[in-house]
Amino acid sequence: MLITLVRRELLDNLMTFRFAAAVFITLLLVVANTAVLIKDYERRLEAYNTALKTHQQQLRERKTYSGGLLEIARPPNPLSIFNVGLDKQLGDETWIYHSYVPTLWDARMLGTTNPLLNLFSSIDIVFIFEVVLSLMALIFAYDAIAGERERGTLRLVLTHPVSRGQILLAKYISAMICLLVPLLMSLLLALILLTTSTTISLSTSDFLRIGGIIFSSVAYLSVFYFIGMLISAVTRRTGTALMLSMFVWGFSVLVYPNVIVAAIAPPYTSQARMVSTFDQIKQIWDELDRERKQFLANDAVPGEDPSFGMVKSGFAYEYFYEDSSVLYYHYGAGAHVEELNEESEPSVPHAQDYYRFLVPRSVDTAEQTWLVQRPALEAIFVQPAIVDRILLRFSPVGMYDAATQAWAGTDLHGLRDFFEAARKYRRTVIDYYYDKNAFRAREWFSADKGAVDWDSLPQFSFQRSDVRIHAERALPDMLLLLMMNLLLFMVILLVFTKSEV
Amino acid sequence: MIWHIAKRELYDNLNSLRFALTMVLLLGLMLTNAVVHLQEHPARIQKYLSSVVDARNVLESRADSLYDLARKGPGKLYKKPSPLHFCAEGGDTFLSSAVEAHYYFWDTDDLGSFWRMQYPAATPNLTNIRPDVTKVDWAFVIGYALSLIALLFTFDSVSGERERGTLRLILANSVPRHTVLIGKFLGALISVNISFALAVLINLLVISTSSAVHLGADAWGRIGIVFFIALLYTCLFLALGLLVSARVQRSAVSLVILLLTWVTFVVFMPSILASIASGFSSPMSADELQVRRYQINDKLWEEYHQKTGVSKLQDMQVGSRLVTQDKVEQDRLIEKRLMQQVEQVQRARSITQISPAAIVQHLLESFAGTGFERHLQFLENAQHYGRQYSEFIVETDRTDLQSLHLIGVREGMSQKPVSPEAIPRFEDTLSLSKDFNTAATELLLLILFVVVLLSSAYLAFVRVEV
Repeated sequence: MLITLVRRELLDNLMTFRFAAAVFITLLLVVANTAVLIKDYERRLEAYNTALKTHQQQLRERKTYSGGLLEIARPPNPLSIFNVGLDKQLGDETWIYHSYVPTLWDARMLGTTNPLLNLFSSIDIVFIFEVVLSLMALIFAYDAIAGERERGTLRLVLTHPVSRGQILLAKYISAMICLLVPLLMSLLLALILLTTSTTISLSTSDFLRIGGIIFSSVAYLSVFYFIGMLISAVTRRTGTALMLSMFVWGFSVLVYPNVIVAAIAPPYTSQARMVSTFDQIKQIWDELDRERKQFLANDAVPGEDPSFGMVKSGFAYEYFYEDSSVLYYHYGAGAHVEELNEESEPSVPHAQDYYRFLVPRSVDTAEQTWLVQRPALEAIFVQPAIVDRILLRFSPVGMYDAATQAWAGTDLHGLRDFFEAARKYRRTVIDYYYDKNAFRAREWFSADKGAVDWDSLPQFSFQRSDVRIHAERALPDMLLLLMMNLLLFMVILLVFTKSEV
Repeated sequence: MIWHIAKRELYDNLNSLRFALTMVLLLGLMLTNAVVHLQEHPARIQKYLSSVVDARNVLESRADSLYDLARKGPGKLYKKPSPLHFCAEGGDTFLSSAVEAHYYFWDTDDLGSFWRMQYPAATPNLTNIRPDVTKVDWAFVIGYALSLIALLFTFDSVSGERERGTLRLILANSVPRHTVLIGKFLGALISVNISFALAVLINLLVISTSSAVHLGADAWGRIGIVFFIALLYTCLFLALGLLVSARVQRSAVSLVILLLTWVTFVVFMPSILASIASGFSSPMSADELQVRRYQINDKLWEEYHQKTGVSKLQDMQVGSRLVTQDKVEQDRLIEKRLMQQVEQVQRARSITQISPAAIVQHLLESFAGTGFERHLQFLENAQHYGRQYSEFIVETDRTDLQSLHLIGVREGMSQKPVSPEAIPRFEDTLSLSKDFNTAATELLLLILFVVVLLSSAYLAFVRVEV
């Protein structure tokens, strides 16, 4: 019986104008947009590759351990084509230095040829689905019950020995099949475009993640179909149902997400915490500075010059770098001596002693401050963002967006993975320095007796997390979507069985 | 008669569910807009004022030496925030709020590179990990909400009557068809705009009662124009709704067509077209700029080394020429890159004008004094000021009779301190007449759209068979 019902509904739906329109528009938008997005991705990839080359170049020119920075870049995420999330919004270049712990907040952005182009907002595939497919779902659903009631066919159907639940299920299944056609077709075309592009290579895990995105899309679609059906079940006339559906759509897709984030003011209350934490971090570094000065005062060389007057050509540096807005503070010191002043040759052992004392101490200090910095950053920046995202989840759009971002790896977690990897890499580099005894080596500051050989330095490579981890991150939102589906279905069933024909 | 029909439509609409929902939606949006503006705008103004004062102090601290003034330039110049920021945010986060006279490029014992205007990219807020959402400004309310509402008010105005059979009844009277159509159009226009006008009034009331935000006479004039544009834009979508409604047999089909058109033209078309169009040209990259700057530098230095070493005075003359020539050529190069970038954006913007939503976005931006056109105005102001500043240096130097008038060399210039007040001030201005020039084409285009759609709606309705 169910099959007969589904067949009837399916034929009804497939032959309609709205079905043809849905397929046409979705295909058009997705294909046109995927082409644009792929081009954009290629541009970003190019910028990334240029950055890598520059970093290699910099490393080659660096002849001492301390005379320069080791920079790393974040590769663009190919799945940002589906949901760009924070992938383009946050910094993608950071540096590795022994006395500095890299964080998301002090990374830099890779340059672009024309920064003015950011004026044009980019639209990803998930946004198209968010807007178009939800609209389609409502258009399919608004007359599902109200229409039959108006035409009087509902009475006819109910005279047959079928339960009301079966009727609802049949309507649901057939409409979902109709809605899946444009969804899957457009995704298929997008995937074909992606795989034919030479610059994008997708691994098996990527395909699994795309599968996750598709699954979330289906759940999202079904939520909107149920919303439409519920409206259709509670209203008497199709006109009213349609009007109500459109306003619900406009509200939950366009208005709510924008209004809720704008209406909730950014938290200025954390200013006090910011200041106190920054002071704390500063104090920790000041402690190091005191010890350092004491060391210089007590050693055999007179004066407190940390470069020991060695530089004939090259450079020596010493700085405190601070940016209180992101709690960024560290001390850096080092040198790149190409040629040594001859009279300062006796002070070389002293310099070695000094750096042997200073560098491990500043490594430890950096880690010590990180312990203070981390929870503060978490409270000041991450918490409000989390609150925002919780508020967004009151609309199905928010859940869908969060779920697909988690699958694509462009959510906050995905981006923090990179900085986690950067911090790990910093440890690796420091361990490498320890192995090489770099801190006490002459090459730490001077290249006059031969430059540092960088060939054995471990390379940085960023592996995206496993599919399982992505799934874990997407799980709460997926569950929310599924729960909403179930809930709506139950409510509709209740309303429909109670309603009089 | 027209008025009679319009009145009937109006009563119908005012009592309907859609009117109530529209009212709630628009009020909610406009209130949010006002509250957010009141929270953010004073901070924005404060930041602008304090950075202007800071920049001026830095500039005046250099007044002891004319050479320093000439070399280091006027410092940072800031863009004045518009009081009508709530009308259109205009992507202000993607446009830099300042240009900077940057002087450090090379430096030797006797000579140093002169300042040049640099156009930095907007410093992106990399600490912002909050979700990226559209700003709720008037442009959003008008562009998205109002157009959608206009469609919802007209999609069934002809096809619905046909379905109910009342169309036959109306046309059986001795009323000309165009009167019916215009009556319907007016009825819908008034009912949509009653709710919009109310929402706007409440929005303005909230904003103007606050002491933190001050709107001048000029600003009110601009708000009037913005309201007029909103009216035109509503007309466009009402006409579109009537057209489709007259052509299509059933109102459900009419709505589907209208919604899909709306989604395509309003939501997707502007950004997709812009992205495609901007792919056609590629401006000079930052690396290329750097390479070419060094080339210029090398060439000039080679000349310098060839000509120097004869006498002290000639060295100074050649040095002065090197420095000024360097500034001229570097400026030209940087401006060329800027022009290429601007052209790329302008081309993309002109292509997006196919979509009326983009036209309205541009129009609102230019009348609100935000966005891209405003940014260009600011750049022009800054460049003008730059020239004025250079002239001031030359003039000041000329009044000192002891000076050798060799700009660019420390000993060759006037050694007298400059009075800090005499240094010209940068005043960023917003002028309505200038805005109107750039906006006129777009305004005309919008009117053209309205006229075409209205007349095709009329044609469609005349040929309707009942």
